[in-house]
Amino acid sequence: MRFDLKTLTVHLNFNTKIFSRIHSVLEKRSALIIFFLLTMISITTFLFYYANGLGVAYNDARSHLDISRRVVENLTPGFAQLGSVWLPLPHLLSTLTIWNDFMWHSGLAGAIQSMVAYIATGMLIYTFLKILGVGLFGRWIGVAVFALNLNILYMQSTAMTELLLIGTMTAGVYELLMWHKEESMNRLIKAGFWVLLSTLIRYDGWFLLVFACGLISIHTYRKYGYKTTEGVLVLFTTLAGFGIFLWFFWNLMIFKDPFYFAFGPYSANAQQQLLESAGVLDTKKNLPFSIQTYIYAVVYNAGFLTALMGGIGMVLFWLDKHIKSDLRIAATALMAPFFFNIIALFLGHSVLFVQGLHGNSWFNVRYGLMMVPTLAIFVGYLVHRLKSLRYVLVGLLLLVSIFSFLNKDAVTIDDAVIGASGKNVSEVSKWLHDNAKEKDGFILISAASHDAIIFSSGLQMKRYIHEGTGTYWDLATAHPGKWARWIVLRTGDGSDQTYRALQYNPEFKKQYTRVRKLPFADVYELKPEYVKNLHTKPTIGL
Amino acid sequence: MKYLYVLFALFCVLVMAFSIRGIQGNPTPQDLNRSVWKDDGPLELSPERGRYALLYALAETNTFYFSPELAKFAAPDVGYTDGKYVSLFAPTVSFIVVPGYLFGKFFNMAQVGSYAVIAIFALFNVALIRAIAIRLGIHPIAAIIGGLTFLFASPAFAYAVTLYQHHISTFIILSGVYLLIRYNTLWSLTAIWLLCALSISVDYPNFLMMLPIGILALGRTFIGEKKENKLSLSIPLLRVFAIFTMALPLAFFLWFNNASNGSPLRLSGMIERAIEVRANGTPLLEGEILEARRKALKQPPIVIEKSFVSAFQSRLLLNGFYTHFISPDRGMLMYTPVMLFGIAGLVLAIKRRMKYVGLLVAVIGFNVLLYSMWDDPYGGWAFGSRYLIPTYAILSLFVAYFLTRFSKYNMMLLLFFAVLSYSISVNTLGAITSNRNPPKIEAAALAEVSKREEPYTYMRNVNLLNNNISKSYIFETYAANNISAWHYYTYLTAFIIIVSACLLMLFKRVTKGVSHAV
Repeated sequence: MRFDLKTLTVHLNFNTKIFSRIHSVLEKRSALIIFFLLTMISITTFLFYYANGLGVAYNDARSHLDISRRVVENLTPGFAQLGSVWLPLPHLLSTLTIWNDFMWHSGLAGAIQSMVAYIATGMLIYTFLKILGVGLFGRWIGVAVFALNLNILYMQSTAMTELLLIGTMTAGVYELLMWHKEESMNRLIKAGFWVLLSTLIRYDGWFLLVFACGLISIHTYRKYGYKTTEGVLVLFTTLAGFGIFLWFFWNLMIFKDPFYFAFGPYSANAQQQLLESAGVLDTKKNLPFSIQTYIYAVVYNAGFLTALMGGIGMVLFWLDKHIKSDLRIAATALMAPFFFNIIALFLGHSVLFVQGLHGNSWFNVRYGLMMVPTLAIFVGYLVHRLKSLRYVLVGLLLLVSIFSFLNKDAVTIDDAVIGASGKNVSEVSKWLHDNAKEKDGFILISAASHDAIIFSSGLQMKRYIHEGTGTYWDLATAHPGKWARWIVLRTGDGSDQTYRALQYNPEFKKQYTRVRKLPFADVYELKPEYVKNLHTKPTIGL
Repeated sequence: MKYLYVLFALFCVLVMAFSIRGIQGNPTPQDLNRSVWKDDGPLELSPERGRYALLYALAETNTFYFSPELAKFAAPDVGYTDGKYVSLFAPTVSFIVVPGYLFGKFFNMAQVGSYAVIAIFALFNVALIRAIAIRLGIHPIAAIIGGLTFLFASPAFAYAVTLYQHHISTFIILSGVYLLIRYNTLWSLTAIWLLCALSISVDYPNFLMMLPIGILALGRTFIGEKKENKLSLSIPLLRVFAIFTMALPLAFFLWFNNASNGSPLRLSGMIERAIEVRANGTPLLEGEILEARRKALKQPPIVIEKSFVSAFQSRLLLNGFYTHFISPDRGMLMYTPVMLFGIAGLVLAIKRRMKYVGLLVAVIGFNVLLYSMWDDPYGGWAFGSRYLIPTYAILSLFVAYFLTRFSKYNMMLLLFFAVLSYSISVNTLGAITSNRNPPKIEAAALAEVSKREEPYTYMRNVNLLNNNISKSYIFETYAANNISAWHYYTYLTAFIIIVSACLLMLFKRVTKGVSHAV
């Protein structure tokens, strides 16, 4: 350093080797640095949402946690509690830690897998972009677009299944891309493994399996003909489809119907039928509206600018002749969630409300989150491709992100807090906590309708008699006065199993008084004169 | 070529003179409250009235405070603090137009004089577009056509003949860009810093729109040179100190805020709004109305915090983009489709890595994103998308670039001329009639109340012409008795289109067989 008095100028000299050294260190150690940074972000974000109580704002998050808890602590614990409503992998993973009350009520037992998936997806995006020949800068931007998305940050802090699905699907697509590049059996098996896991998380994974089979067939048939294609496909499907086979088998064994998950009383199909009869399933058999709805959901989750830049990046990517056509075709697997969700909306198998398109409500808008890693990859590619504009593009992303963070603009939180995905059940659960915790007696409740109340009450799971408790449920709905000191139900609502079972029960009408009438459920209490006949301890099967 | 510039400048001045809105006279606050000056006259919307009220207070009473009569004129966009009525708008526009007001007052046309200052800035903008385009290697005649496209074929026209901030903001942005492209001296950097700071007091979001220019200027403050394995970085301290010249405009801004709003950091938009001024001169505050409504509905008390940040919501981007580009009430497609050639030119420029394309994209990007996140992307009652006027200016550069690249293709030029003519026709309509077009959402609500159709596109301006209404000063003062508003509009539009055609033909002739390297 020297100072020129004549021109009032400070002169600094740097050895450029230091920059190239920094670059080479980043090239070598980026994965490790990203791992460290994402771990820090993940933990901090979880703590933030845990502290402000939003971590378990989704009804579904509370239900996921309760399902896992019932496997280990319940009047009738066991794996049968996994049920048929949701695919089992997230609940199985949660059972490892859900026995601990803190892990259950903080939501950490379910969030921890989302957090791991968040870190893994960030690292996969980095690697994915590296394989596509994107430079260091573009790779980091791709990771940042994913990792700093407020909706992703919120969902990785909750016990929801989105991040785990995103993680396994991205891993599956990455291995598929690598298989297209290397054609090694090892890659195909790895791809099959990740697709297998995704098929056990959500039905989006089933579509990915079909999509992957299509891509594998095209690639192999073009290069090696029919016979090889058949062999490769059988190998891949045997592994990747094994989870689906197990799920059918599970449904057959537990519910005596392999299609129970699809057509049972708690299935999405049954729920969609209710919505359809209420006239709110607008996307069914309306392809343009299904496409519009899902694109809006993607835009609200990823952010408009990210979606726009990702879209441009995608077009440039598929037109880029420097990238092998095999890789470009393989990368179409990144679009699987997009096609799946549109098809599901069109067929009426899925429901999604976007404020402005479907009145003033949000519901399941988080489905749009599935496209965030895809868009992040294409934004990374765009930044790499448009070298002369890379800092401008990053500046624009920063501008929007700053306002997004300052205004806490996360549509997934709105969906959970004020949308149809979240219900404020605090009044009912608080009443139970204050009035039932210190007293003996069971609470009769429908878990299918009121899992959020069970979770929020802070009571042990074995205090509840619900549909999954078998004989307890049968006895309590036949003779509530002998088994249930309190009954929680939505009076007059036929979709509430407890109400349906008790509506004509004379014992219920005679022996109970309604102690609270609340927006989401009413609480009935056994009259004091009947308490002496009550069973207060689990006796069946002991 | 020199004569061509002079002729083009004369043409622009002439068209602006024929279009500028106004009425003869030096109105008093009592006059200003008459509908002939307000709704039916040149001060038709509250942004004009608020700025004119501050201008009047400055020029006539040497204060920042409004008398109750003046406040009544500026309502509902008037603030009330410490028992005084004050402006709700950033102050510099009113300060800048004071000379025009005083000059016009001398000729018994104070309002026209004030508006003329904005028109002058609009003309400066055309000159800047031409100058920047030429520096970027664009053909000089294409550069002129670019300037013409900006001023007469975009909503910039409707806002060049009235009292809004947009042309001054655009002037500051274009000046910053020009200084960056043309010079790299201590003085040019000083000027850029001054402009950056000044822009805030013209319109608060300008701070963010000037950010790309400021960042590039900051980069110029340090001089780097790479030699073999060494990077030498020189930091001329005078260039660093130049940044502190920002203090001058900022000091003015803080002083104004302190004097007008009671605190240096209290922006005008943060003051409580007086919706009305009662007959006894006391205000009917927005808060009082909301409180009464809340009590009537038995709702719990709510605290509404006004902040700069909460006015920009990233979730509104989708709607904002739709509003600015596609919507029938404000969209670029409807009002100025000629800018599509600018977008095509921009893509070409990116592809060919034109110099400074990054800076220009950044200015457009910041402008579009900011006002797409804005909670009122419509700009209230307005003609076209007024917030995108700086973007139209930059896109006009790329229109010129596009023309330079496609000068050989007759069909393309013909298509350009057709779209340009449509855009000129639409925007001349706005310029000589009114900017009072409600957004679609408000028009629908109005229609429900009034039980009649409420147009929200430029068809509303066509209706005004059908009723023989034009707010042009020259039409109102000299021509209304001789020709209809429709004829006036037709002659003016035809004049602009014919000149455009001549320029395009000249461009075609000059570039025939010659390729201009860009």
